[in-house]
Amino acid sequence: MRAALHRRWAKLAFALAFVLTALGPSLEARAEEPVVLWHAYRGAEEEALEAILAAWGGPVEVLAVPYDAFSTKLESTVPLGEGPDLFIDAHERLGNFRERGIVAPISAELLARSGGAEAYNLGALEAVRFEGEAYGLPLSQKCIALYYNPALVAEPPASLEAIAALGDAPDWPEGVYPLAYEARGAYAHAALLAAFGGALHDPVADDYAFEGEAAERSLDYVLGLIDAGVIPEDADGALVTNLFKAGKAATVFSGPWLAADLEGVEYAVAPLPVVEATGEPMRPLLTVEAIMLSPHGAEKQAARELLAHIAGPAGARIRAETARSLSARTDVPPSDDPLLQAFATQAAQSTPMASTAAMRAVWEPANRAIRKVLRRDLEPKPALEEARRRFDDVRRPPPPPANPAPVVVLLGMLSLLGAGALVHRARKLGGASGTLDALRRSLPAYAYIALGVVAVTVLVILPIFFGAGAALFAGKPHEMYYVGLANFVAILTARGAPLLSTGSFYVVLAVTVLWTVVNVFFHLAIGVALGLVLSRPTMRLRGLYRVLLIVPWAVPSYVTALAWRGMFHRQFGAVTGLIHAINDLFGFSLEPIAWFSRFSTAFTANVATNVWLGFPFMMVVTLGALAAVPKDVLEAAEVDGASRWQRLTQITLPMIAPTMIPAVTLGAIWTFNMFNVVFLVSGGDPDGSTDILVSEAYRWAFTRDAQYGYAAAYAVLIFLLLFATSRITDRFMTGSKEDRA
Amino acid sequence: MTASQRELLESIAAHAVILAAVAFSLYPILWVVSLAFSGSTSLEAQVMPVPTDPTLDNIREVVGSTRTEVDGSQIWLFGRQLLNSIVVSIATAVVGVAIAIPTAYAFARFEFIGKRGGMRLLLATQMFPAVASAVPLFMILETLELLNTRTGLVLCYASTSIPFAVFQLRSAFEAIPTDLEEAAMVDGATRFQAFLRVVLPVARPAIAVTFLFAFMTAYNEFILAATLLNDERAFTLPVVLQRFIGEYDARWDLFAAGAIVVSLPVMLLFYQVQRHMVAGLGAGGVKG
Amino acid sequence: MVAVKAQNIVKRFGEVTVLRGVELDIPDGAFAVLVGPSGCGKSTLLRLLAGLEQVSEGKILFGEREVTQLEPRDRDIAMVFQSYALYPHMSVRRNLEFGLRLRKTDAATMNQRVGEVAKMLDIAHLLERLPKDLSGGQRQRVAMGRAIVRRPALFLFDEPLSNLDPALRTQVRVDIRKQHDELGATSVYVTHDQVEAMTLADVLYVLEGGEVQQRGRPIDIYDEPRNCFVAGFLGSPAMNLLRAPLTRAGELWRAGEVAVRDAGHFSKLRPDAEVILGLRPHDLRACAEAEADLHLEVEVVETLGPELTVHGVLRGDAQRQPFIAALPAKLAVQKGERVPLRVERLHLFDAATEQSLR
Ligand SMILES: Nc1ncnc2c1ncn2[C@@H]1O[C@H](COP(=O)(O)OP(=O)(O)OP(=O)(O)O)[C@@H](O)[C@H]1O
Ligand SMILES: [Mg+2]
Repeated sequence: MRAALHRRWAKLAFALAFVLTALGPSLEARAEEPVVLWHAYRGAEEEALEAILAAWGGPVEVLAVPYDAFSTKLESTVPLGEGPDLFIDAHERLGNFRERGIVAPISAELLARSGGAEAYNLGALEAVRFEGEAYGLPLSQKCIALYYNPALVAEPPASLEAIAALGDAPDWPEGVYPLAYEARGAYAHAALLAAFGGALHDPVADDYAFEGEAAERSLDYVLGLIDAGVIPEDADGALVTNLFKAGKAATVFSGPWLAADLEGVEYAVAPLPVVEATGEPMRPLLTVEAIMLSPHGAEKQAARELLAHIAGPAGARIRAETARSLSARTDVPPSDDPLLQAFATQAAQSTPMASTAAMRAVWEPANRAIRKVLRRDLEPKPALEEARRRFDDVRRPPPPPANPAPVVVLLGMLSLLGAGALVHRARKLGGASGTLDALRRSLPAYAYIALGVVAVTVLVILPIFFGAGAALFAGKPHEMYYVGLANFVAILTARGAPLLSTGSFYVVLAVTVLWTVVNVFFHLAIGVALGLVLSRPTMRLRGLYRVLLIVPWAVPSYVTALAWRGMFHRQFGAVTGLIHAINDLFGFSLEPIAWFSRFSTAFTANVATNVWLGFPFMMVVTLGALAAVPKDVLEAAEVDGASRWQRLTQITLPMIAPTMIPAVTLGAIWTFNMFNVVFLVSGGDPDGSTDILVSEAYRWAFTRDAQYGYAAAYAVLIFLLLFATSRITDRFMTGSKEDRA
Repeated sequence: MTASQRELLESIAAHAVILAAVAFSLYPILWVVSLAFSGSTSLEAQVMPVPTDPTLDNIREVVGSTRTEVDGSQIWLFGRQLLNSIVVSIATAVVGVAIAIPTAYAFARFEFIGKRGGMRLLLATQMFPAVASAVPLFMILETLELLNTRTGLVLCYASTSIPFAVFQLRSAFEAIPTDLEEAAMVDGATRFQAFLRVVLPVARPAIAVTFLFAFMTAYNEFILAATLLNDERAFTLPVVLQRFIGEYDARWDLFAAGAIVVSLPVMLLFYQVQRHMVAGLGAGGVKG
Repeated sequence: MVAVKAQNIVKRFGEVTVLRGVELDIPDGAFAVLVGPSGCGKSTLLRLLAGLEQVSEGKILFGEREVTQLEPRDRDIAMVFQSYALYPHMSVRRNLEFGLRLRKTDAATMNQRVGEVAKMLDIAHLLERLPKDLSGGQRQRVAMGRAIVRRPALFLFDEPLSNLDPALRTQVRVDIRKQHDELGATSVYVTHDQVEAMTLADVLYVLEGGEVQQRGRPIDIYDEPRNCFVAGFLGSPAMNLLRAPLTRAGELWRAGEVAVRDAGHFSKLRPDAEVILGLRPHDLRACAEAEADLHLEVEVVETLGPELTVHGVLRGDAQRQPFIAALPAKLAVQKGERVPLRVERLHLFDAATEQSLR
């Protein structure tokens, strides 16, 4: 017995030791503090950076952050004094970084050390300048140009119309597009828009500009290209690359990043063509990649030195050679690489992208408008008007500060009420002595829950309290100010837009409810059906089937969500493969579906994924509930002459219902807040129409200008909805139980 | 049609239904597996999930990732990240379950002031979307200087695993007859000894299931991990996997290979514990 | 090995009062049985003795020692639960050893005691099994063993036989009594089965409504129930209780038609009072017409081997209250017959207070 006890203590000690090692300081404390550098490079550019860093003596800690997460991570770390000393990013986010205090200006001394202002292309340096101060040093310039496949077109076509006409040639190979580019994205469209005399953003007024006749004409023009079969309608970056690599696109508009993927493929690059319809050349947006200093990095001597080193001429040469990137420096001799020469020409013919917050807010509405038009959901004019509204919506001025007095009074009243309730409670317990007695009897229980109470309070209640409290505030995370109920008012009035316009609270709520109902229905139907079939008394292989059927539960849900996203991929997804197979087998001619371009199909894809994830839980619960149904009741019913169906509907189902109801409630809450699937599978596509309330809240909190208070108000509304619903169903259920009794 | 014919037909139908469901549940998995072992990512959509040009290169590439440290030494990055995931998940489960056990026991067995209110409050917290409490949690960790550490991550995950474990375990403890503890107490045990030596061993299956769920939530979580961690060596596996499919550059083959490596341990654990699931699954855990 | 005294025990659960001033006085070494209908508070009282619940008012004494506030483990008791409460994760041996281990008994003693008890209860061959692999009867014996092995001063039993089939129940009942006599410890036994109560008890407590209705030797209570409840509760078939006016003609008292021959036994007779007449089925004898006090119109006859249980109504009973008589089998009573009956012994209760008129 001693031995057993010792073993137990040993186990406990082991567990504790494990926890302590897990919790102990793991990665901190190093002798010489290295400079921390973040970037989003991959492939050759990453190699070039490594080579440049290798040439520098001091310690550097490099982190390759995924492009998609780059700015979120900067925003969440740098203001807290965490994160990198140096980071490399496109200049277009500078405005935002500057507002948030993520980036520090480059001192004149530092600029001089890297060669002075004259060492940089004027345009490139201008792009990182604000009010006369540079907020980073340009490394390279990027814009799109024309790639062409010499095997299909010998010479770069002079005009867009000439490219379009390629397909009319009699010997044009079957299934080859004359042109491919990301027509659905505003970034590539901006080049075409420029040829029509339009722009996405007006730099003078710092305002949205994607509207008016030029914009409409440019969109009509693209529609024409699609109708004529010149370009694929729904190409994303990966498809453009793949088409060009496979020789299925004669020309593409793409940036220098494409070259990295074209190893072993024959290609050439030329400036973008002229649009004959207007006689103007296409002008792409120019992005300047710059290296920037975070405020705490600016304090570090080593960080400043490294910055100058990376931006310096030696670095530029390595980048040009290793990664073929177009330098922004004037003191590096022009390269004889034809690719770089073509891009240099194009860069001279480009518009530097504005880096203001307004420019950043242009993208989402502009992208959505273009997609809607290309999908022919809307005519260009209304689509662009809608986009304008969306832009204004995100850029709307923050609500004015409100007087916090009412809330203070309210809080005071609430605490009075709480105190009153406590007194009432105590009186019911038999006055002071009764209360003391009850408290005394509660003491042992308090000893058991003490740890849990502390943990839950700190880790759950406090964050929720502050999270909910933030709903009454607006502004950037570190300078929030009280605005009263303005956030709620804005949400509930759809920010002034029609109440049923896309993205309004009510529409998203309707989608969420539909999402919950449909999912819970399928979970329940499939789970119960499989449970019933599996628990047939004569069922063989039951154990094996059960094990196979709960596989979806065992696999990490983000893995499955992403796998399903892949399966619904229009080009190489398995679902498309299935459609092809059906066509081959039955001679049908079903078109592969672009799943995420219509609400109905995108929603279906989300539901399919979530049903797949969720039915095993219901099945297992059903099996458990069925195991508890006594056989004799069913036999009694059979003797009474009940048919199978009657036995199912009148005995089995009612008997398992009490066990199922809590599981269904739980499932409904989970589904209502099922962020992963929506976020990873459809990502809200098309146009955020498949977003549910939580993912919408997430967008407000982490994209769209980090309107955290606004997101918090969403969260509070979600909470209130769920809470009210659960109270009502609770009432309803206890009520009906009493009726039965 | 005789009864036995009918039985046969029904049985065939039953197996057909189940097999269809099995196909539905296995297909995505096989799809990932075939992608992971394919040497060439073809542009063509494939129906049959069989690898083209079978190879282990993808797996090798994912698992073999290394990193050169500041001092020039090489570390096995993937191993480090796998360790992170496992340590964080086990610590989350241990902390969550260890804190939840006494709490759930008190809720199941004792009468005390605040019991009903406490349970309601805990249930209500589950309805508040994590999106909104993530930022305050982030700030709390920041003041504790725990950002970018495993501890910080464990604390974050514990904030979801503790309430969940309390619900699960409370219904598990409620299902254990009070007679058992009373017998132990009459036999000479203190309340705490009875809890330790009788209730806990009897509740082992339920504790195992709860542990599994807590482990799985931590092991599978990626949004918080992606926001909180800024050091490659501190990454957990979901963050690593997510990086394979960016918006502009999707390496589905690597993602698939990584997915397999990541899923295997958790699936093994799941199948170890799932036998208890019918018994241990406290679906009644939600009743306030 | 300890006398048990409970003084004015009151137990409340929130608003409901379950026990209202219960007094127990169980001599050292006695076998006390608490009997009463379901929900009357027997288990609660037992659990108070065990220390599993706290009294709201009153005092409990084991011998000279006041134990009211003590924890169960400090009371030197053992308890057998209705569900047996065997620890499902421990073998039978570990179940038996559990209490000893907690008291840090050394291994040799433990082994020896477990061996003795296992032999005594005939469970030696089951020691390595888990409770789930035992039959109901075996489990019951293990539960008994777990109590016995600790050699407590006081045994508490909460309906330990109710999960056994009737044949086994009789046998185990006898075993329990035998073991009690061997061990000599005081026992308190809760049941709602009156046969168990009658056969086992040295001291019997009849409980109802949270109060002790009567305390005494079983036979005394059977013979002289203090009130209608006790009268109706003990005895099988149950006593016939009929409302009747009490009349007096000279020295002869009559309850309804029935002559009260031993009126001297009743000290509280008042003429023209409404009474309840209690007639045990076994106190009725079939007789000649001339001797008859009552006539039973037979409706159903149940044959139990040596005797018949005859159901019917009394002649002249306008309310047609059901009435039962236990008659020798050889009488061969038939349905529809009218059987003249003579009352050997009767009980009288005040109709209002239901208290005995003795
Ligand atoms: N923990 C409790 N809380 C509230 N009421 C209780 C509690 N325990 C028992 N009661 C009530 O006390 C009364 C007596 O219960 P007890 O279990 O003592 O009855 P019993 O005589 O043992 O009945 P049975 O023969 O059915 O076991 C019942 O009405 C019961 O509902
Ligand atoms: Mg009882």
